[in-house]
Amino acid sequence: MSDLSASPTAAPRRISPHAKRGGVKAGENRFGILLLIPALTAFGLVVLFPFLEALRLSFYEFTIQMMSPEFVGLDNFRRILTDPTIIGSFVTTLIFVSLTTFFSITIGLGWALILNHPFRGQAMLRGLSLLPWVMPAVVAAFLWGWIFNSRYGLLNSLALDFGLIEYPVAYLSTNAGAMAAVVITKTWLSVPLFMAFFIAGLQNLDREQIEAARVDGAGNFHVLKDHVLPHLRPVMMVTVVLGIVGNLQHFDTIWALTGGGPVRATTVLSIEVYRRAFEQWDIGMAATVGVVWVATILPPAYFYLRQLMMRAE
Amino acid sequence: MKHTCRLALASAMALTLGSPAMADTVDFMSWTYTEDSGKATIEKLIEDYQAQSENDVNPIGYAWSDMIKNTFLRARTNTLPDLSQVQARLLPTVANIDGIVDLNDVFGADKLEQMFPAGFLAMGQIDGKQVALPFIAGTIGMVANRKVLDAAGIDEIPETMEQFRDALVKVRDNVPNSVPYGMATKNNASILLDYMIWMWTFGGDIIVDGQPAVNTPEGVAALEFMVGLMNDRLAAPEIDRPDARRLFGQEATAFYFDAPSAKKFAADFSGQGDAYTVNVMPMATPVTEAGGTPASIQWGHVLAMFGDENAKPDSAASEFLMYILSDDVIVPYALGSGAIPPTTTGSNSDAVQNDPYLAAWSAAAVAPRRNTIASLENGAAINDIIGEEVQSALLGQKSAQDAADDMQGRLAEALK
Repeated sequence: MSDLSASPTAAPRRISPHAKRGGVKAGENRFGILLLIPALTAFGLVVLFPFLEALRLSFYEFTIQMMSPEFVGLDNFRRILTDPTIIGSFVTTLIFVSLTTFFSITIGLGWALILNHPFRGQAMLRGLSLLPWVMPAVVAAFLWGWIFNSRYGLLNSLALDFGLIEYPVAYLSTNAGAMAAVVITKTWLSVPLFMAFFIAGLQNLDREQIEAARVDGAGNFHVLKDHVLPHLRPVMMVTVVLGIVGNLQHFDTIWALTGGGPVRATTVLSIEVYRRAFEQWDIGMAATVGVVWVATILPPAYFYLRQLMMRAE
Repeated sequence: MKHTCRLALASAMALTLGSPAMADTVDFMSWTYTEDSGKATIEKLIEDYQAQSENDVNPIGYAWSDMIKNTFLRARTNTLPDLSQVQARLLPTVANIDGIVDLNDVFGADKLEQMFPAGFLAMGQIDGKQVALPFIAGTIGMVANRKVLDAAGIDEIPETMEQFRDALVKVRDNVPNSVPYGMATKNNASILLDYMIWMWTFGGDIIVDGQPAVNTPEGVAALEFMVGLMNDRLAAPEIDRPDARRLFGQEATAFYFDAPSAKKFAADFSGQGDAYTVNVMPMATPVTEAGGTPASIQWGHVLAMFGDENAKPDSAASEFLMYILSDDVIVPYALGSGAIPPTTTGSNSDAVQNDPYLAAWSAAAVAPRRNTIASLENGAAINDIIGEEVQSALLGQKSAQDAADDMQGRLAEALK
């Protein structure tokens, strides 16, 4: 390389008349940016522009009967803070996300630990375990809907046959029953994905370390607590964040199974936005709830991205 | 190249100026056109019209639930159709659109009064303007299933609330796995109609002089009556209108509220087709005391016209509108829908007079009232409030009084 500092006033010497400004590295960077353009364009059109438009509309009153939106400033945000039904939606979302994420990860981890042990039929069981994951969420919702149905449901049929109940129970008509139904359905759909994450994480677990621990007298619980779980911590963090973000966004199963009811027992934020936008046609208010909803998703999403980038570095 | 362009331009101008008067095209927006049961009927109607007219009709279909949204979206983008099918209950909302035509100015009030009975003509009147003409008419009222009543040992249609309740108990005790009354307990839009009818039956109303009146003694009594039916297993949770229709056709429900098209649903869900419709009996909503006025809700479809250019009696849109409302077209169309043709000559025609189902339906609906919620600007939000609070009482989450009080407070806030 030439030492430019030796003669600071001299013009930089070009290696070749065809050499581009900035050298090979800068050229690679420009090429990289060029490659990003399609993805950035798609992101801008599909994600960024609609979000900015929703953000703009959150400052307007805009119902279906209005020919054009009317600027109301922060009025919609004020309404959110004073409307107990919307605050209730936040609480319902918190309950749904907490329960679903907890059960998905716990059962996913347990199932992964079972399937990580060699036994006859292990491969087939692993394959079958992925079935809920490939099933469309709405189909799963209808399937579980029939299980819980008060007139024709499998659950009622079994309970009646065994004499456990005298009359069919309308599980989906109680707050707890409806929430349990949507949590069970979403958990059932999510477990295979989390199980796959954990199985992947368990593949590079140091077997000799486990065997050494067992020689030292460690039981199953201590092996799990002191060796397996610490090893899975990075995977666990990613799955927790992915679970939270996914469950915060979840809509289809809940809508198909309970429609957000009974009353508002399963009206999470996604359902709230849908109702405001497409049932009540209050687009301004729907955009406002949507913006706040995005704000709740951003922290875990940021945390997830930071984890990914830290690992990449 | 320049020469070619000039030639093309000249040819286009010659074609435009030199051709005889071109036929107009009428954009006709309809939800029936998107439905399996109605698409062929609308297509035939359009085909027959085009065969006898030089004008064309361009059908535009949207699902029933998407019509109001698309009407307003089209209004915003200046792409309103020339004619549109509109739910009568939503007409007050649609009437706000700029460009809706006052049909009195087009056809003359005298002519329209001759064409339609006053009651039906009123379906299309808003603030003294005739913004639409009735297409098919009827009411939302109660139907009973003859076979279920027979199975339960009920000989007569109940007329009072007491008789109605006794009949429900008989159905519950004698028809296994039945839901005696298919009361809507799911879906806010469906719950509203049942609640509104019972509210009227008990002498109250949801909104009085622009203010909510749901926690009045009448309102609470209506809600307590509905809750009582749930507690005594005379109605069931998880029932929406489609569920009630299915149960009715499967002889597991004796009574429920529906439009005249209940007959068609019973035919479909029974699996026996039209042969089953003899079992569908229109009946007057039970009243609190004998001799009272049974409650029912006005129901119907109307046709609205948009655009000043159409507001002439000889416009293509006007011509097509009058064609639709001619006896030869409207009578078979309405009867096929299980509804009453709204024209004077149509409703007096032999086909209608000799239809026992429609005759019984008309006799049962003596004083139908307009759905007051649908006409409100934020009717959908108000509907949700009512549905949620009524459901919370029906499912035992709140007492009838508490639900009525909460509903009153939320409605007052929403109506500000």
